[in-house]
Amino acid sequence: MFKELDPILHSQLRLAVMSLLISVKEAEFTFIKEKTNATAGNLSVQVQKLKEAGYIEVIKEFKDNYPNTTCKITTQGIHAFEEYVKALQQYLNVGSGN
Amino acid sequence: MTPEEKKLSNEESLQLITSMINKVKTSYHDRGTGCLLWGSAVSIAAFVTYVQVQFSIDIGFDIWLIVLAAIIPQIVISIKENREKKFKSHDDVALDAVWITYAITIFGLVAYNNIIPYATEALNKQDGWVMTKHYLDAARKDEVIHPFVLSSTSVFILIYAFPTLITGVIKKFTPMIAGAVITYLLFIASCFTAFKYDMLLSGFAAIVCWLIPGFILRYRYRKQKEQHV
Repeated sequence: MFKELDPILHSQLRLAVMSLLISVKEAEFTFIKEKTNATAGNLSVQVQKLKEAGYIEVIKEFKDNYPNTTCKITTQGIHAFEEYVKALQQYLNVGSGN
Repeated sequence: MTPEEKKLSNEESLQLITSMINKVKTSYHDRGTGCLLWGSAVSIAAFVTYVQVQFSIDIGFDIWLIVLAAIIPQIVISIKENREKKFKSHDDVALDAVWITYAITIFGLVAYNNIIPYATEALNKQDGWVMTKHYLDAARKDEVIHPFVLSSTSVFILIYAFPTLITGVIKKFTPMIAGAVITYLLFIASCFTAFKYDMLLSGFAAIVCWLIPGFILRYRYRKQKEQHV
């Protein structure tokens, strides 16, 4: 029985954001924007969706007198990402005939 | 469907995950400034101490104060680097804890070296005895001496190796692993040598643990920067 791929994660930009955040403790919005080559508007929308799903935490604070947004993956987000990768592996194993 | 909502094939998903993880890995390169700073300060202090003892020279102040003074630029560098860094890795958090523990240990050991002789002397006096130096050939009379910590430089050398080895292993940075291994060997050697030679060994330990890795990190950083220009 195949697990269904999480629709929140199975989207290009959201998966890119989660893949970045899984490798770090926390990352600034500007860093995520730079690495994903997304526009600030698009990224904001997707970050908000991930936040609403409980997969990431968004911290807004001031850094050197400028507003600064930092994103951090949550325990729920880590679990969802792991499940997504497991499901993906399952599909790929079948696809490659293993 | 907007591009950001674009659905992916399974292969594309896997490629995306891999590429993003790799992007993080190549995002930050240590400039090696801290390594160069501490490697220079400790090796200079150790070699100057050796010269002072070997040639009976007094430079008029405690050369180890330069190591204490190095804390100020280190704080400035750390604040600047943290400001510039746009993400914090799990490794960074673990290594910060290791180096803070190391700094506390070194300060503790310095305090130990300064407190123990006086405390021992006071306790001995309470018990009604003092430490003396006794000459085996009886050519000279016994001399009253102040207690001191035996070969504490060896302990410093031993402690230099531990954060270096952890950093080397976590960051998969061979020069630091090699530096730590050499430092453990220098520690063993220092157990059998006099204070002035312990100072030489201590200076070499600072060079292999921090100065050489610092130069390598700086070289890599510059090379990386040139590639991005």
